[in-house]
Amino acid sequence: MKRVSDLLVTRPPAFVLGAVLGLIVVAVLATLNQRLGVLGGYSAVVERLSGRAPSFGWRASFLLGVFGGSLLFSALAGGSTVGAGYGWLTRTFTGDWQVLVVGVLLLLGGVLIGYGAKAAGGCTSGNGICGTALGSPASFAATATFMATAIAVTFAIDSLIT
Amino acid sequence: MSVRLVAIALGGLFGFAISWGQFTDPDRIREMLLLEDAYLYVMMATAVAVGFVGVRALRRMGTRALVTGEPVSWTTSGVERRHLVGAAIFGVGWAVTDACPAPIAGQLAQGTLWSLFTIAGVAIGIVLFLRGEERRLARPATPRASAPSQARPLASAQTP
Repeated sequence: MKRVSDLLVTRPPAFVLGAVLGLIVVAVLATLNQRLGVLGGYSAVVERLSGRAPSFGWRASFLLGVFGGSLLFSALAGGSTVGAGYGWLTRTFTGDWQVLVVGVLLLLGGVLIGYGAKAAGGCTSGNGICGTALGSPASFAATATFMATAIAVTFAIDSLIT
Repeated sequence: MSVRLVAIALGGLFGFAISWGQFTDPDRIREMLLLEDAYLYVMMATAVAVGFVGVRALRRMGTRALVTGEPVSWTTSGVERRHLVGAAIFGVGWAVTDACPAPIAGQLAQGTLWSLFTIAGVAIGIVLFLRGEERRLARPATPRASAPSQARPLASAQTP
């Protein structure tokens, strides 16, 4: 077990991980004839719980799998690979109000992620990996846009906090 | 084999893979978005290349989906304004939280409770979008209710 956790502490080569994710896109199509997209799982849960859909559907199951797979990883790796705190947010905002400030920023960021990805027809996985693999012009345009925006905003945040 | 079991298994593999790639760590994502680490870009390029070839091989072989039995097929979309505007909004959220939908679920699984805020936000964002779409679709329905000959467009209107 020690050996497994040692292996999991280090990231696999990027091209190996990329090949695995690409093969999952192929496998979702080969088994379910569906397009992979994780945001769709959140949407399926919201739509079911708000009475907009009669069932959770396969996408909610896929999301449950993502949760379970991460849980399994954490167990085999002997702990979380997520750093302490929450990145730049908890390093920048400290003190008594940290939970409130960081919580509100994460909540607002989440709103932008949910609304934006829904409008764009997918998130990093749905557009960035699956839609582009399927050759969808909309996914190429969306991916270029969110990558450029995220990089620009990250640099802007970095210049403000350093 | 049920659809649900296959979806959970493939989702599990996906979740395991992104956790191993440390995409659940906001600092890792930030390094990638600050162009200090090429991992994300190499990973995405490889995933797209493998997926691109793989799905076309499936289609060329006339494969039927193993679980559903349908012929493997897909449709693509042309670029619309919503794809660009939505993606820009998503990009801002990604930069602020240094996370996107799959890693957020992975963070929660690994015990990062901060992700509960992000998950709540994602759910609110989805509800706001759905309500906006419902309002948008309901708007032309009122004047057209008195003109049955023009009621057809609603039938083809769908949310993405």
